Amino acid sequence: MKTIIKNNKFLFLSIFLLILISFIDLSLTYQALTNAGNQILSMLIIVPPIFLLIGLFDVWVPRETIIKLMGEHSGIQGMALAFLLGGFSAGPTIAAFPIAMIMLKKGAKYSNVLFFLMVWSSLKLPILFYQVTTIGLSLSVIINTAMVFIFILGAVIADKVFTKEEKQAFERKAQNIE
Amino acid sequence: MSIEAIIIYSLALTLTLVSFILDKEKTLKGIKKGAKSFRKLLPTLIPLFLFVGILLAVITPAFISSLLGEESGLLGIILGLSIGSITFMPPFVAYPLGVELLESGGAYPQVAGFLVTVMSVGLVYFAAESKYFSKKAAIYRNAISFLGAILVILIVMVVY
Repeated sequence: MKTIIKNNKFLFLSIFLLILISFIDLSLTYQALTNAGNQILSMLIIVPPIFLLIGLFDVWVPRETIIKLMGEHSGIQGMALAFLLGGFSAGPTIAAFPIAMIMLKKGAKYSNVLFFLMVWSSLKLPILFYQVTTIGLSLSVIINTAMVFIFILGAVIADKVFTKEEKQAFERKAQNIE
Repeated sequence: MSIEAIIIYSLALTLTLVSFILDKEKTLKGIKKGAKSFRKLLPTLIPLFLFVGILLAVITPAFISSLLGEESGLLGIILGLSIGSITFMPPFVAYPLGVELLESGGAYPQVAGFLVTVMSVGLVYFAAESKYFSKKAAIYRNAISFLGAILVILIVMVVY
């Protein structure tokens, strides 16, 4: 019982909260379920093609290619590629985790994969125009340049923060994922 | 359908078609692999979105902007960063919300901090992220993004 709750903590927490807010205001419950339904729906629209691409990537792209492009000695080119892949992202950050794993599986350097994840989470190039038209040019420029700067720094420092053993452990996890 | 969805679908379908023409067996194997990792992620995703849906029902725009007003100061900044770090919103929801917050009296640094963290810091993903990589990796990525939000707040304070 304990492990069931532990493994589904978000589910149990959600059910508990739903019951709780139902006592306060039933329209809140309705709003919560509508929100959740909309988010799940938009995720079910955007996520399947991502996984289709992950599968194709796995069978077509040889490990040697990724080692060369994004591996230990890929330098700035590896980071640039991670930036482009992350920037042309679609979908929530959690959909990027399996993509990051397949990169690690194919021999990409951890700091590049981390850079990809960070860029994916907040720098979305396809909707740059949308960003500017909503929150304005100056705020967009401030947010994007500051975040690129901090992400580059974060990725470079990560190379020192994580030991060789830890990086190898990520790769082993990636190999065993399927 | 959003622009994002159109781009990703055209890309995925074109590549699948090309792949199928080149090698039928390899393509089927790839599709199977993709479907497998999707099925693996799904049980984690649905309760998570349910949880976020509840959070967003309680934490309404009116509620957030009441916390992030001009006079809210450091406390407002901290609240903006905290709410942003806990919740997750897609950019198509987050940006218009940012505008709404500013128009209803939210101050720039507070709202900017909220906007950055709501996209880049995902504490609701923490358990999943730790499982995929490690606890340390999840803490590290979220901490770096959080520092980025603080940097953005500082610049916004100087500029505006």
